[in-house]
Amino acid sequence: MSTRDALLADLRALRRIWPLLGVSRRRLAVAVAWGTLALSAAVGLAAVSAWLIARASQMPPVLDLTIAVVAVRALGIGRGLFRYLDRLASHDVALRGAAHLRERLYSALAHGRTDAVATLRRGEVLRRWGADVDDVGDLVVRAVVPALVALVVSLVAVGIVGALSPLAGLVLAACLLLAGLGAPLLAARAVRAAELDGAAQRGRVAAQAMTVLDGAAELRVGGRLDPLLGELADAEDALRRTRDRAARPAALAQGVTAAATGLAVVAALAIGAAQLAAGSLAPVELAVVVLTPLAAFEGVGMLAGASVHAVRAADAARRLTDLLDRARRPATGAADPAVGAPAVVAAGLAVGWPGREPLLRGLDLTLAPGRAVAVVGPNGSGKTTLLLTLAGLLPPAAGEVRIGGVPSTALADGAPSVVTMTAEDAHVFDTTILENLRVARGDVTEDEAREVLALAGLGAFLDRLPDGLDTVVGAGGACISGGERRRLLVARALLSPAPLLLLDEPDEHLDPETAERLLQDVLALREAGRGVLLVTHRGAASLAAADDVVDLGAVAAAPGVVPMLERSA
Amino acid sequence: MAKPLDPALLRSVRSARSTVLATAALVVAQTAALVVAALLLARALGRLVEGSAAWSEVAGEALGVLVALAVRAALTTATEWRAHRGATRVVAEMRDATLRHVARLGPRWLEAHRAEVATLVTRGLDALEPYLVRYLPQLLQTALLTPAILVVIATQDLLSAATLAITLPLIPVFMWLIGLATERTTRRRLAAQQRLDARVLDLVAGLGTLRALGRARGTVARVRELADAERRGTMSTLRVAFLSGAALELLATLSVAVVAVGVGLRLVTGEVGLVTGLAVLVLAPEVLAPLRHVGTHFHASADGVAAVERCLDILREPVPVAGTADLGPVEEVEWDGVDVLPPGRTLPAPAGLHGRVRRGGITVLRGPSGAGKTSAALALLGLLAPDAGVVRLRVGDRRLDLRDVDLAAWHAQVAWVPQHPVLEPGTLREVALAGVDADDEALRGAAERSGFAEVVAALPLGWDTPVGGRARGLSAGQRQRLATTRALLSPARFLVLDEPTAHLDSASSAQVLRLVTEAARDGVGVLVLTHAPELVAAADEVVTVAAGAAEPLAAEVLA
Ligand SMILES: Nc1ncnc2c1ncn2[C@@H]1O[C@H](COP(=O)(O)OP(=O)(O)OP(=O)(O)O)[C@@H](O)[C@H]1O
Ligand SMILES: Nc1ncnc2c1ncn2[C@@H]1O[C@H](COP(=O)(O)OP(=O)(O)OP(=O)(O)O)[C@@H](O)[C@H]1O
Ligand SMILES: [Mg+2]
Ligand SMILES: [Mg+2]
Repeated sequence: MSTRDALLADLRALRRIWPLLGVSRRRLAVAVAWGTLALSAAVGLAAVSAWLIARASQMPPVLDLTIAVVAVRALGIGRGLFRYLDRLASHDVALRGAAHLRERLYSALAHGRTDAVATLRRGEVLRRWGADVDDVGDLVVRAVVPALVALVVSLVAVGIVGALSPLAGLVLAACLLLAGLGAPLLAARAVRAAELDGAAQRGRVAAQAMTVLDGAAELRVGGRLDPLLGELADAEDALRRTRDRAARPAALAQGVTAAATGLAVVAALAIGAAQLAAGSLAPVELAVVVLTPLAAFEGVGMLAGASVHAVRAADAARRLTDLLDRARRPATGAADPAVGAPAVVAAGLAVGWPGREPLLRGLDLTLAPGRAVAVVGPNGSGKTTLLLTLAGLLPPAAGEVRIGGVPSTALADGAPSVVTMTAEDAHVFDTTILENLRVARGDVTEDEAREVLALAGLGAFLDRLPDGLDTVVGAGGACISGGERRRLLVARALLSPAPLLLLDEPDEHLDPETAERLLQDVLALREAGRGVLLVTHRGAASLAAADDVVDLGAVAAAPGVVPMLERSA
Repeated sequence: MAKPLDPALLRSVRSARSTVLATAALVVAQTAALVVAALLLARALGRLVEGSAAWSEVAGEALGVLVALAVRAALTTATEWRAHRGATRVVAEMRDATLRHVARLGPRWLEAHRAEVATLVTRGLDALEPYLVRYLPQLLQTALLTPAILVVIATQDLLSAATLAITLPLIPVFMWLIGLATERTTRRRLAAQQRLDARVLDLVAGLGTLRALGRARGTVARVRELADAERRGTMSTLRVAFLSGAALELLATLSVAVVAVGVGLRLVTGEVGLVTGLAVLVLAPEVLAPLRHVGTHFHASADGVAAVERCLDILREPVPVAGTADLGPVEEVEWDGVDVLPPGRTLPAPAGLHGRVRRGGITVLRGPSGAGKTSAALALLGLLAPDAGVVRLRVGDRRLDLRDVDLAAWHAQVAWVPQHPVLEPGTLREVALAGVDADDEALRGAAERSGFAEVVAALPLGWDTPVGGRARGLSAGQRQRLATTRALLSPARFLVLDEPTAHLDSASSAQVLRLVTEAARDGVGVLVLTHAPELVAAADEVVTVAAGAAEPLAAEVLA
């Protein structure tokens, strides 16, 4: 890709992300206005004080200087004040943009494909969410506002100087153009490759740091901590080298700006001197023509940095749009529409993962209130896949699943009001026990919570907790034991408003007696008018008590109606 | 926070010291160039305006100005370049030290602080860079150069120097006030950021669950609230920081204006010459420029400082088990009356645990869920310190308290499969081999023993099959065996398996039994935490774990 194409691609990426920032034009205009006033005040201060000193040296009556004296003070105050307002306004725009973008991002993930972030390491997710969004948001403060301000202020400065000496104004304009256009382009071109590498390396650093953090104990015992920290150090080294590579041209661009300043001042001096000699410029005006440029470059001086930032923001924007694209899914169907009688009926069902052979074919199955079905079968035989399909969360490979009479493919995310699935590795949120239960239903009362926890076999556990229902369970249930976590998941499933429950391995990580009791309690739900389908590797007694046993293995070794199954090769 | 330059930071991060010194040196040179340029410019311009010289007479000075400004530009560049170099190194060192220490603090500490540390190591510490690249040089400039330029001005015009000097004592006062005002808001903001980050990572990890319960949509509003809270928090920090910055800047600009006016009025009376006046005019802003910039960069630096201080606090946390004694080949490990009190709980789990794991033997820990089996294993691994009792290692005929020995040497002899192993996304080979020095041969051998080989054999891409985080793409039982494979990769004298048959069908469970008995036969000491009757039956020693103040339980030694 040529540099020009690359920069155009950057612009496209930024154009695509810009609407997601929801930047209000009015706020942006206000920020630019304050910024312009602040820098104009600085330029004015330079011009007026130059005039003041030069004029004063001619020993005029003091009254001649009064206006300038007042102006100097006012501009001094104005500069600080406007600058404060500018910073407040532009940061406000940037932060609003970032918050807006975060919301859009999360909303896309929440509504989009569930596996959008599956292949991303946690650190990378955090990086996109954090630094990338910040980078895009900062575009306002670090690139857009400075660029607009620089433009206006440059015009002001050229106007002041040009009014006194058109030629000096012209030279100043040329120098400003060099610094304001040449330096940023030079910087953007030179650092682009390094910036992109750097972003990738930064991502790697974040991901690696999170990996170390998440697996600290395991890594340490397994002797893998040092090698991984070594990899992290390598990534940081690579990052440092890249930054060095980027820093040189960026610094050079700064140098161009500084050189342009010097050039403008000295050229003004030379031109002014000539015009002074020719009598077309007054001595006092000479001071203004020479000293104003000193302040005029503050605006364009920021542009080299701004262009580098724009390159970085464009790269972040690409990563974010990539994530948004990944999360996008075709609008399949309605979200939990009103459906008929609560039942899940599978007919001629084949389940499997897209792009793979179906795991099983020709399954007929009905789950209705008052019934309990057990699913057994060896590892990898497709039990979990079957549950996902029955819940409407995975499209059937063939055949049909009707949930409340509606084909599952017509539903966006299954029909949680009819049937909910509790995955074997369902997530426990880093909040209190009560709030974790309320994930199933927002209005769960404390008494309901206690009751259902007791049913799941956590009554004694709860009684021993000093904070009771307000005990925080830690990220992924890290602060409770494996068996406690499992029973919490069962309790949560029981609280869901759906009459039909699909439970994946509710009895793992439990001692046989507790497990058996739990399964019996779950099966007893059918008396209360709920339908239960559960997957288990053990629990012979519960298998006997189930109405149906679906065996996905070769042998069906249980009573009840065993559906005809044809295992795919 | 009120300390502008944290001595603890300098002590603990070596590279920061050289960065700060190098920056200081460059900054001095930079200002020298600036003073030269200003004086020359004043001379040239002053004489031109007075009409006392023609262009040809001042051309040399003009050239001098050009050269001095070029030198200054080069030095500015170098300063920035150098500072950022040091900065990346400091950030890297800080990140490394924090992660290392956090790993040593053990799972119990980490569980309570994971969110905070995650934000610190992924984005918090990066804010250190503006602190080192922008803020610190400006601070040094204020300390070193402001007085120096003041002296130069004094040689030109004493009264202007005096005017400027009056403002100087205000600087430390302001710095202190700024620090005070920003400290609280910055902390609050960091906390809000951590809350948001942690919450979103948690929600994103749980999206599948939320979706299955039909609750994913409901969380968007909550995230919006949190994002908004973060924005408001940041904004209030900025408001304070900007206000204090503005105060400094205003002070600076005003005193320049006062000097300019003062010089102007004295020019009228002929007290000072034009060249002097111009020199003072050009130099005066430079005296206070660093000060203005300190104000400007203060908010960026405040974040960095808050992050570093938090890291330094973390580094000061005492490590639970931190012995140094050498360790030979361990023959036996035992719990002697071990109690572990989980944080925030009233009853220990386990309580009064006695038991041992011998090389060549199989010990099974069993007991109801929540009795403290996993905690007992963590204590045995030295990842948490028992609240009562000791874990002892027998080496030859020495008996060593685990708290005294070098844990790394102990870990080198143990392989451990936790109850919920952490699995990163990647290909199966990458997941299994991350951080392990083993070849494909060893990998196949380990997979054979764990029973994962048959899973791989059934996959079209074999070991190159990509899986997501938590081995998404594998079934629960397949994932369990993958984790076991990984632990079997390095030879160990002890093997600790936490619920190895969870999620496994009967054939795979039988494979685990085979693995365990074979390992014991090969002289490995095996500890299995399990509920599976077949494993209990194969044990040489069954230890029943109990929580709370239950009656003491003796180890029943079978066969
Ligand atoms: N997200 C996925 N994408 C592709 N393939 C998958 C995915 N999840 C699982 N599989 C594959 O589908 C097959 C069936 O997996 P499933 O999880 O349904 O098995 P299972 O019967 O629940 O096994 P287990 O008893 O181990 O939980 C396995 O071979 C697995 O590797
Ligand atoms: N980080 C923690 N903070 C607070 N309490 C904890 C923490 N980790 C574990 N606990 C508590 O300590 C007790 C023992 O937990 P542990 O994980 O050792 O049990 P376990 O015997 O392994 O149970 P399981 O068979 O269910 O895995 C449990 O009640 C648990 O809630
Ligand atoms: Mg499964
Ligand atoms: Mg456990």
